[in-house]
Amino acid sequence: MKRKILFLFLAAYMVCFFSSVSVYQNSISSPVVSDKGRLLPVQVKSVVKAEDRKQLQKLIKDSNQVNDKFSIAGMQHSQGGHTYYPNAIMLDMRDYDQILDFDPKQKEIMVQSGATWDDIQKHINPYGLAVKVMQSQNIFTVGGALSVNVHGRDIRNDALIDTVKSFRLLAPDGRILNVSKTENAALFPLVIGGYGLFGVILDVTLKLTDDELYQMRTKMVDYQDYPGYFKDEIKKNPKVKMHLARISVAPKNFLKDMYITDYLLADDQSRYKRYSKLKNEGIVAVPKFFLGMSRYSDWGKNVFWELQKNYSKRLDGSFETRNNVMRSESAFMEYESGPRTEILQEYFVPVDQYPGYIDDLRSVLKQEKDFNLLNITVRFVEKNEKAVLSYAKDDMFALVLLINQGRSTAERKETERVIRRMIDVTLKHDGSYYLPYYHYPTQGQLKKAYPRIDEFFTEKTKFDPNDRFVNLFYEEYGK
Amino acid sequence: MTYQRFIVSQSIVIMASSIVFPFYILLLRNAGDSYSQFGWAYGMFALSAAFFYPVIGRFSDRIGDQLLLIVYSWAMTLLLLLFPLVTEVWQVYLLQILMGLLGAVQKNTEKTSLVRHAENKQVGKEIGKYHSWTGIGGAIAIILTGYLADFLTIGSIFYIASLMYMASGLVLMKKTKLSKKAIGDMNKVSTK
Repeated sequence: MKRKILFLFLAAYMVCFFSSVSVYQNSISSPVVSDKGRLLPVQVKSVVKAEDRKQLQKLIKDSNQVNDKFSIAGMQHSQGGHTYYPNAIMLDMRDYDQILDFDPKQKEIMVQSGATWDDIQKHINPYGLAVKVMQSQNIFTVGGALSVNVHGRDIRNDALIDTVKSFRLLAPDGRILNVSKTENAALFPLVIGGYGLFGVILDVTLKLTDDELYQMRTKMVDYQDYPGYFKDEIKKNPKVKMHLARISVAPKNFLKDMYITDYLLADDQSRYKRYSKLKNEGIVAVPKFFLGMSRYSDWGKNVFWELQKNYSKRLDGSFETRNNVMRSESAFMEYESGPRTEILQEYFVPVDQYPGYIDDLRSVLKQEKDFNLLNITVRFVEKNEKAVLSYAKDDMFALVLLINQGRSTAERKETERVIRRMIDVTLKHDGSYYLPYYHYPTQGQLKKAYPRIDEFFTEKTKFDPNDRFVNLFYEEYGK
Repeated sequence: MTYQRFIVSQSIVIMASSIVFPFYILLLRNAGDSYSQFGWAYGMFALSAAFFYPVIGRFSDRIGDQLLLIVYSWAMTLLLLLFPLVTEVWQVYLLQILMGLLGAVQKNTEKTSLVRHAENKQVGKEIGKYHSWTGIGGAIAIILTGYLADFLTIGSIFYIASLMYMASGLVLMKKTKLSKKAIGDMNKVSTK
């Protein structure tokens, strides 16, 4: 009798065991993915790690029979689901990161698209070379950077699109195409800033420049004097190679005080060797703590601003190499919270419009007491309309806004309302906004900021009629 | 229940729980990812244990340690099958409450068993020996699982632990027969 019960129990257990395993396997075979914005978790069909060209090509070719969809992911710092799509296969490119060729004499490097700027910097720094255009941080993949057409602190090396010599694209039909300004040239300005909708960027040949020693110059300015200062002291002075600024979000001088950091070519380049070692991420506890405080109170924001300002003053006159300027710290901004997240916005506004723009932005934000704005960084982008989805319609200041928001639907709606107001102000001042973020902007705003958006999506449909490459950005605005 | 079987089954139990707990935290991170939710999950575990301890104490005196330990092993065997399927925070909370209850059963009964066994002996030495053996089991398990987690998914760790709990239950059950035999032997000895 006892034995019978035991067997019954064991049999029941086995049934439970295998049902559990099968449900579990089902759930991990359609993993839920999300990008750094954490506002759009989505169940995908699977995540495939990119290993080599043949594997990727086979995947795409085979999919033409079974109609699988693909999205392409690097570090997933885009925040609008640009790297995934429900029930599509997400290609994780991060291990596809070999350096394929490097010619220090020609100052060129060829890398697989999953390589990060950090990988490149480590490789080329011993040769005294540096990247021309990249983000301010070096954690991103090259493929991702091309797809979102990034800009950084450099004010002399044109736009990213001009530093790309060529790349190879795995097209929706499985062909591999060489793309440059002369070969398959029509694709060049579509894929750069193309958000992964035209195929997989396999490898990229980039033009490099010399690594140099810069001396920092920091200064406080009022927002009204900033455009004049920029034109006279920065743009006209060929020694200034890089530039960034911050405008206060602290209540006591909200959108008025600014501090500027310029990087000037050091007079004595013989000291380069002393500074050329690549720096690593330092201890981030202090800025992390004060940024944390500024999330929760106006008092914290005032303290954080003072701290940043004083720190900037202390840096005046110090030296740093170009490579080290372009690997600035990011770990202190990492933010973990269940119900809240931190999102980015970036607005571009013509240099001369800046003071009026800031006044209008201030009057909007003064009405939005609950809108938790943590930081605004200001950089410069030169007019460059080569990419179809170009944001630099003029010589513009680029303002990156860091915003803390709740993840619930109601809080998202609220953020959406404020962001749409800010974009209206931006567009009123002939500005535009950056696309790799959450789909807060309306279709109308998109059209106004990107007059060629229809052409972009038409070309996408022509080149990829079966929608082999998809993402949530395309879903939201392109269909 | 022979003491040896008790040690074996409890070593397996401790090994299984050592496997699960470090990785259980990873699971919690996936399901609910704020520190306050984390705090709640563990708070519920502790509260539920505190609430059930007195009840369990009375039960163990009435129905015996062995049965309670068997119930514990089997219940954990089944409960662990649910772990890999958790997707929502409320499910984590529910599991934590049940884990609190079962954890209390195990802790209480483990102690009463020890005390009952160690009666009239050197209690300190016995308990020290017990913890040392179960501790070794736990340590080996954690180290091995670290490697396992690299090769397998987190889910598989819970399945392995479930099987181990089942083994511990079987050990305890088998021992019933043996202990009857042992009692018989002892009776024979005493009648002689």
